[in-house]
Amino acid sequence: MAEAMADSYNGDSEPTTRTLLRRVLDTADTRTPRRRRSARVGAQKALLETPSSRRLSSPTKMNVRRHSHRVRSIGRLAHVHTSGNVEEQTPRTLLKNILLTAPESSIMRPESVVKPVPTPQVVQSSRRDSSRGSLELQLPELEPPTTLALGLLAPGRRKQRLRLSVFQQGMDQGLPLSQEPRGNASASSLTSSLNLTFATPLQPQSVQRPGLARRPPTRRAVDVGAFLQDLRDTSLALASPGDSLRTPVATLPADTVLEDTQPFSQPLVGRSPSGYHSLTCLSHTEVEDAERAVSLRTQSSGPRLQNHSLYVCPAESPGCWFLLHVRAESVLDQDTPNKYHPGKPAELLAGKAKKVDAHAVSFPNNSSAISGEDGVEPLQDGVDEEAEERMEESLSVSEVMDTTGTQGSVRTEKSKRHREMSEAVEAKEPEGSSGDEDISGRRASPELASSTTEFLQARQPQFLEPALPPSTAVLSSEPLEPLPTRLPPRARTPGPRPRQDPHKTGLSHYVKLFSFYAKMPMEKKALEMVEKCLDKYFQHLCDDLEVFAAHAGRKTVKPEDLELLMRRQGLVNDQVSLHVLVERYLPLEYRQLLIPCAFSGNSVFPAQ
Amino acid sequence: MEEEEDGAAEEQQRFSYRQRLKAAVHYTVGCLCEEVASDREMPFSKQTIAAISELTFRQCETFAKDLEMFARHAKRSTINTEDVKLLARRSNSLLKYITEKNEELTQFNTEQKAKKKKQLENDNTKSVAPAEAEAAGKDGS
Repeated sequence: MAEAMADSYNGDSEPTTRTLLRRVLDTADTRTPRRRRSARVGAQKALLETPSSRRLSSPTKMNVRRHSHRVRSIGRLAHVHTSGNVEEQTPRTLLKNILLTAPESSIMRPESVVKPVPTPQVVQSSRRDSSRGSLELQLPELEPPTTLALGLLAPGRRKQRLRLSVFQQGMDQGLPLSQEPRGNASASSLTSSLNLTFATPLQPQSVQRPGLARRPPTRRAVDVGAFLQDLRDTSLALASPGDSLRTPVATLPADTVLEDTQPFSQPLVGRSPSGYHSLTCLSHTEVEDAERAVSLRTQSSGPRLQNHSLYVCPAESPGCWFLLHVRAESVLDQDTPNKYHPGKPAELLAGKAKKVDAHAVSFPNNSSAISGEDGVEPLQDGVDEEAEERMEESLSVSEVMDTTGTQGSVRTEKSKRHREMSEAVEAKEPEGSSGDEDISGRRASPELASSTTEFLQARQPQFLEPALPPSTAVLSSEPLEPLPTRLPPRARTPGPRPRQDPHKTGLSHYVKLFSFYAKMPMEKKALEMVEKCLDKYFQHLCDDLEVFAAHAGRKTVKPEDLELLMRRQGLVNDQVSLHVLVERYLPLEYRQLLIPCAFSGNSVFPAQ
Repeated sequence: MEEEEDGAAEEQQRFSYRQRLKAAVHYTVGCLCEEVASDREMPFSKQTIAAISELTFRQCETFAKDLEMFARHAKRSTINTEDVKLLARRSNSLLKYITEKNEELTQFNTEQKAKKKKQLENDNTKSVAPAEAEAAGKDGS
């Protein structure tokens, strides 16, 4: 058979390397006693190759692959089958022989390879039986090729994937296997590798883009109608106040709007109280299309919300505007901010034509800037009392923000999350503003939701934590990044909060580590005790450090003090010095700071 | 070979010295325990006394090392009362006791010094006077 093939090959006018290799293959197969299978395969391969050789346009590719595989497999096979083609005995041919013989001779039998192979093997074995003489690819036995195939599969996976389609086409058409897949490895290994690709066709595809698979579904279909309405609403609301602050923030919305990972690009803080009046009138008609019920509710809470929205911390902190909202509401109740209103509606109307993005972005900043100072001070006074009010208002404000909205696609997500959050909050504080919450829920921006949750958490951790932490944890991380300019609201608000909180937050990390390494479920009380012990331990440690520094007549704690402490602890002794521990456990960045290291220019850092 | 012998002998010497120290500590601890037992009217078993004495011995070793470390940390070559106070800071009552003792000692020392100074002055005057007397006497004669 091989000779027949060879004869057929002789008809080839071009003595390309491929043809040479093929000849070698054929001859090699026939010669080696163990080559029965590969001989068959090789013969069939030759058959397949000959008709398809001309069709394939990239002989070099195959050769390259073969060579690469040969290089890989050469390590396994010590012997080389010269295969009688003395005149053609080039290193390439030798490698090719090795490649051919590799499957049979290799000892390794990776189990992982065996699994995927059986399934296709079954299919192909049937094929083999049926179509011996056909041009279809014959599969060698499972075991021998798998070993080599496994090794070749990984590097050649991409190539196999690409050629899989070709292979499928070939199978469908009854064509012999194209040379490209064969090029990856010898016939046997190639087929086995192909089997593997069959077996796990999905894996490469899924692995190919892990990032996309893991990313949460980002965009939803944009509801154009709602989006346009939101644009209009936001333009109205953000028109006047946003002017001054638009420029600095103008860039933000563009970046944050479209980004999935930063859904809280700009929590729409609020609207001018006066502007909202007009806005509600205007938006009422506009919103009706999308959310009629929402608009009605917003109207009732609109002016309030708008007032609130104005009073936002200049720091753009998510929680700030909540505080300010509360304040704004109280102000509104007192009818003080009425002065605002006349100016705003006109501005809003004027600004209607402006782009929403700029508005949406600038509005929170605006409102915050305007009323930040006012709201912050009074807020700090009655924190606990107005907590509930704030919660509602924050939610309602967030709703308003949402309705005026920034991005439709993001909005849908936000609304969902906000809905969750608002629902959770509602459960705790069911009040008249629930309607607002619903409104906001629909189009709540995750920014608002997260900011709300953050703020609420900071304010009333007791009853918010159970419901909010999950959402907050997801959301809170993100808004902080896109809003670097926002000041943390917690710094001001929890005045009476004991200093335990910042301490415990650090200890909780160690407690978590402890519970992890315990490998057993632990009671809450036990964890609390652990936390207490850790607290005392660290207190002791710091006291010791202080005393040591004072003992040396210093006011600053230096590494020498720490070394003394560790010596007392027994970590550092005559056999183990501090530098040894530093080298063992600290990363390079810290090691550079601690252990003097010579740098270029005859400089040593840290200086001794 | 001589070094090895010397080394071994030294080792033995040290060991025997150590044993003697341990014995001394054990004896002292035994005496103290007897006192406490007679106070509380509860006898001490021998194992208890042995355990306490062993514990004391090891703790003394630790104390010594710590004191040396503290002195070196303060860039001194002599162990000071400050070092001792640092050592005892953990136990409040002990620290208090030590501080009081320290104050007493300092007071005593200052008093001693004052006395010594006076004596020195007296001696000086006395020594000066006879010298002058002698000089005067010489001149006179």
